[in-house]
Amino acid sequence: MGRFLRHQTKTGGEPKIANEKTVRVPKRPIWTGTITIGLVNVPVKLYRMIFERGFSFRFLHEQDGQPLKYQKVCTKDNLVVPWEDTVRGYEVSKNEFIVFTKEELEAAKPESDRKIRLNKFVDFYSIDPIYFETTYILAPDKNPEAYTLLLKALEKTEKAAAGTITLRTKEYPAIVQAHKGVLILNTLRYGYELADPSKLDELKKLKEPSKDELDLAAKIVGDLSGEFNIDEYEDAYKQKIEDLIEKKLKGETIVVEKPEVKEEAKELMAALKQTLEQLKKK
Amino acid sequence: MSEKLTKVGFTNLSKVLYPAVKATKARVVEYYIKIAPKLLPALADRPLVLTRFPEGVEKEGFYEKNAPQGTPEWVRTFTRYSETAKRSIHYIMCNDLDTLLWLANLAALEIHVTLSSAEDAFLKPDLVLFDIDPKPPATFDDVIEVALQLKLELDALGLKSFAKTSGKKGLHVVIPIVPRYTFLETRTFAREIGRKLEKQLPVVTSEFSRQPRPGVVFMDYLQNSHGKTMACPYSLRATPQATVSTPLEWSQLKKGLKPEDFNMFSVVLIKEDPWEGFSDIKQKLEVNQK
Repeated sequence: MGRFLRHQTKTGGEPKIANEKTVRVPKRPIWTGTITIGLVNVPVKLYRMIFERGFSFRFLHEQDGQPLKYQKVCTKDNLVVPWEDTVRGYEVSKNEFIVFTKEELEAAKPESDRKIRLNKFVDFYSIDPIYFETTYILAPDKNPEAYTLLLKALEKTEKAAAGTITLRTKEYPAIVQAHKGVLILNTLRYGYELADPSKLDELKKLKEPSKDELDLAAKIVGDLSGEFNIDEYEDAYKQKIEDLIEKKLKGETIVVEKPEVKEEAKELMAALKQTLEQLKKK
Repeated sequence: MSEKLTKVGFTNLSKVLYPAVKATKARVVEYYIKIAPKLLPALADRPLVLTRFPEGVEKEGFYEKNAPQGTPEWVRTFTRYSETAKRSIHYIMCNDLDTLLWLANLAALEIHVTLSSAEDAFLKPDLVLFDIDPKPPATFDDVIEVALQLKLELDALGLKSFAKTSGKKGLHVVIPIVPRYTFLETRTFAREIGRKLEKQLPVVTSEFSRQPRPGVVFMDYLQNSHGKTMACPYSLRATPQATVSTPLEWSQLKKGLKPEDFNMFSVVLIKEDPWEGFSDIKQKLEVNQK
């Protein structure tokens, strides 16, 4: 318990505490390119907007606390295979592969011409949120006047611009919109990436509730209605792990809480039986 | 729990909640199991306010008026819009053993009840409470003297009254009444009686002043107000000795009685219930009678 602390101070200097409440500011753009709408070009830089803040643990060797790494191992002879000796295989049927070399795949990559092509202006709220995948910040590059013009035009018309972007090897449907005084880009999923819920057996035979039930349910909905506020939500697991990290940094031993102590619960059950009998008599 | 005696799954039973007397949550649950036949009638149909001490009585606890997140659907609640809080309060009610055990598992050590029942009668108290509290150096003996004098007064009015330790320093004297008066009326009644006792016993003060003089016994008639609560009879208190707000026979109230003798361990050994039938008594209160 807490005995690998020495490795943390050895490698890290100041120990890091993950307890940052403020949202991160992205450091460098992940992509630079141009928005094109007809003949208009708007040079932009793309920054990450989403930082998932779950926990990532490193795997360590229990005996000496050293970090472990992954290696590619041949499933036949268990020998480690270096990167240069790898090719990619597409599994056509069980254990049957079509082989692609790195060069072949490189040549097949979509032409990333560094363009966000927008060709339609739409009502943002008409887009089903289920298609939204992830969000990027669009920052002005070189020609900020063109950026501001697009931003203000979208704000004024209350429209979003729809088009496509190619990131690495995938082309995405994309929506560009004004958001709190900046442009942001949402990549979307394709329609074929979603399951069709109507095909589920459980959902085929749903009974209509009675009017009374529905009225009651509607009343509860009414009682519990309010404004949505994202700050009301907290990740309890994350909080707990953060607390544990702080305790470990202070050198405290963590006692693992057991959900139920068998012996003690048994004792209580005996008392409970008596009480239940007493209550029955009343 | 294969036999399924309760819907409640107990957690952290070995957590120490009363360090001074080394009592774990298992002991708290056991206490509430054993006292349930006496406690449940006093809780029935009353909105509750809990004081929870998940980290034990030496750490800070918290009040809970609203049914917490994760309240099981089988726990009854009573919803009422609070003008002061400007939101609906979903009070917990405890009419069965499972709910009581669920409360115990939440480390809701103290269970407080309103002086009125839920639903339509919420604004019509069915209890009048005399909260008798000593300000040091006044002692529990002084409290007993005041309580006995109070009983004489109430007897003279033909009102049956019941006494319990508050579980802390004082005593609660309670009159069960028909729920037909307003809190203003019960408050006025308690105030009148308090004034009378003030004249009879110099140690008594019944008026709230910012700093009650030391050495007096304070009778707080303001407890008879909408939204106020009292520790339920047989509720544990968050004291080092795991004291219990314990119903007593009037004949037990003698000088030298120590409220801390009534605790989690001793109270379950008492066979009788001095408040038996308490919840069935409904007395008329003639407010203007002198």
